[in-house]
Amino acid sequence: MKHPVRRLKRGGVSYVKWGYIFIIPFFAAYLFFTLVPQLMTIYNSLFENYRDGLNQVGPNFVGLKNYKTLFSPDNSGSIGFLKYFGNTMILWILGAVPQILVALLLAVFFTSYRLRIKAQPFFKTVIYLPNLIMASAFSMLFFTLFSNVGPINQLIVQMGWADVKIDFFASTITVRGLIALMNFLMWFGNTTILLMAGIMGIDQSLFESATIDGAGPLQVFFKVTLPLLMPILIYVVITALIGGLQMFDVPQILTNGIGMPDRTSTTMVMYLNNYLSTSKNFGMAGAVSVVLFLVSAGLSVFVYGTLTKRSRED
Amino acid sequence: MKKTLSLILALLMVLSVLAGCSKSPAETPAGEEGKVFNIYAWNEEFKGFFEKYYEVPEGITVNWIINPSDHGVYQDKLDAALMGQSGASADDKVDLFLAEADYILKYVDNGATQDITKIGVTDFSNTYEYTVQAATDSKGVVKGVSFQCCPSAMIYRRSIAKDVLGTDDPAAVQEAVSDWAKFEAVAGQAKDKGYYMTASFASTYRVFSNNATAPWVDAENNLQFDAQVNAWMDQTEDFVSNGYTLTSGIWDDETTAQMFMDGKTMCFFGPAWYYNFSMGNAQDKDNGCFGDWAICQGPQAHFWGGTWLLAASGSDNPTMVADIMNTFINDEEVCSNLVKNEMQFSNNQAVNAKFAEDPEFSSAFLGGQNDTAMFVELAKNIKFENVTIYDQLLNEGLQAYMQEYYKGAVTKEEAMQNFLNYVNETYPAIITN
Repeated sequence: MKHPVRRLKRGGVSYVKWGYIFIIPFFAAYLFFTLVPQLMTIYNSLFENYRDGLNQVGPNFVGLKNYKTLFSPDNSGSIGFLKYFGNTMILWILGAVPQILVALLLAVFFTSYRLRIKAQPFFKTVIYLPNLIMASAFSMLFFTLFSNVGPINQLIVQMGWADVKIDFFASTITVRGLIALMNFLMWFGNTTILLMAGIMGIDQSLFESATIDGAGPLQVFFKVTLPLLMPILIYVVITALIGGLQMFDVPQILTNGIGMPDRTSTTMVMYLNNYLSTSKNFGMAGAVSVVLFLVSAGLSVFVYGTLTKRSRED
Repeated sequence: MKKTLSLILALLMVLSVLAGCSKSPAETPAGEEGKVFNIYAWNEEFKGFFEKYYEVPEGITVNWIINPSDHGVYQDKLDAALMGQSGASADDKVDLFLAEADYILKYVDNGATQDITKIGVTDFSNTYEYTVQAATDSKGVVKGVSFQCCPSAMIYRRSIAKDVLGTDDPAAVQEAVSDWAKFEAVAGQAKDKGYYMTASFASTYRVFSNNATAPWVDAENNLQFDAQVNAWMDQTEDFVSNGYTLTSGIWDDETTAQMFMDGKTMCFFGPAWYYNFSMGNAQDKDNGCFGDWAICQGPQAHFWGGTWLLAASGSDNPTMVADIMNTFINDEEVCSNLVKNEMQFSNNQAVNAKFAEDPEFSSAFLGGQNDTAMFVELAKNIKFENVTIYDQLLNEGLQAYMQEYYKGAVTKEEAMQNFLNYVNETYPAIITN
């Protein structure tokens, strides 16, 4: 009680406690819905704990055995987790690189005071629309479109582009290509809007003065827009990365949970789901989650480090 | 004043929410049973028959909880419900659930199901023995009944058989495909005429796997491949490389498209439920080929699937559970209707025999053949043995990973390794090396 009174005497009122009170809900939610489950996952990963039919096995403490299983090679000598990590990264890069490039281009077009594109709200809505469709519905749609008896194959044969049907789900390139295409279509609109917000936050006079000083559009983009956009771009890349590492619904539905062919489109979360879905194997699924968490954290720090370093140098 | 009013309103709101909680769960008074009857199922097949032929007692609401069977989704949902059975309110308890041959053991040999002889299902004199055996636990307690008997037959296109073999008579066709060597020879003849022998690489899977002499896992829980499963893999390899079959899965659109009039496939394999529930394309008004089909035993006797009704422990409607079971195995009229109107092969031997001997009875879909007479013969050969609680997902997984090999996407070794990895992930209890 002493504290506020003294401050009052000095003529100022401290509202700081209200600040803390207002952020309590966030921290409480974080504590109960994120931190505690996270710690529980680490705890669970140290146990043998699964269901065999309707009978529960465990939980029995097994130390780091689950991690050992996770990183031990199968008969053919390949380590499952590393393979699925590789798949996930390839699928993410295939989708995210074009996504960010196209979004950047569109964002520059839409915000350019020289182009003055008409009917902007219409275009913005249209490019955002794919994101509103449920990923599973979108995957089902693509599966039907590209199946052996689907319209795309009928078109290919009828137009004479190929003699026989193309089995899109029997080759690694086409399956990965389809997954990347879908992720791209679903997310480039969202990214465009984020980047547009970033560009519009930049002082217009900087562009004008750069132009007056004789900078061409490319120079303006690389010397003015990009450096000033860096904070938003870092945010976009890191959220896209974390989203990419958690890639699940699109490949799961598109490949019917198999990750075909040869499990080359099985992502890390699909792998996790394999452990969890039938046997409720919390031990192994926990181990996969913990490693996935470490990988995500490590990659985020790495991306943040490299991108901020570059923007500081600029 | 305003403050007081809003406070009172807010309190009232909170109270009304709490009031919902305090309402005591519908308890079952002695002599009276629950008002809500919950049935878990994986498709609409039984639901259709139930709604048509079973008269639900007045005042009872039947609640269907339907989840797809693929990837064990149905089993997952059912397991969760059964494990929470004791804590569920009376209206949420599972009363009856359906199970398939591939995983029935998991539920039968477990406390989740109850002895049906104690709730009033005692007469099994007319049912097929294997259907009772499948629903009997290791101590000899019967936990459920099947409403159908599922001997599986070779279902062939009459017009294609005529073209390839010169006859569409079931006895003559059976003679031509009575063992695997003959079946393969006919496949070659069909190929020469521009037909496929089967529409899916997995068409013959059940024909082989049902004749396995050992279960998927041995007593020590080691995974084992039966000679019949290996034979299926070898034969399918030849069929694919010779162009005798397509490489799509059994339920894929590409396979079912072969059932249309312009389809080029001679044989499908399946029990009665297959052609009445899964061959919709063949029955299509415009593009189908209704009546252009017939059945014979094929190279090996086998059965496929079948839907059992199991009584869940803790049900608050035991009388109705028993009544439903008795209706679908012992009610002569209902069983007759299943055969007559639904092209089913019922689980009542007396009813089946009646139709088998009836010269007037025939199936229009099968071009006038008396399918019941055929199935009565085939049912004599059904053996329900070598089953494990893991069968559904092992069969599903083997087919899915071998399909990649047949499509040429991976080598056989890679396919097998992928299958083993899948087994390790799906069933930690199974030892794979």
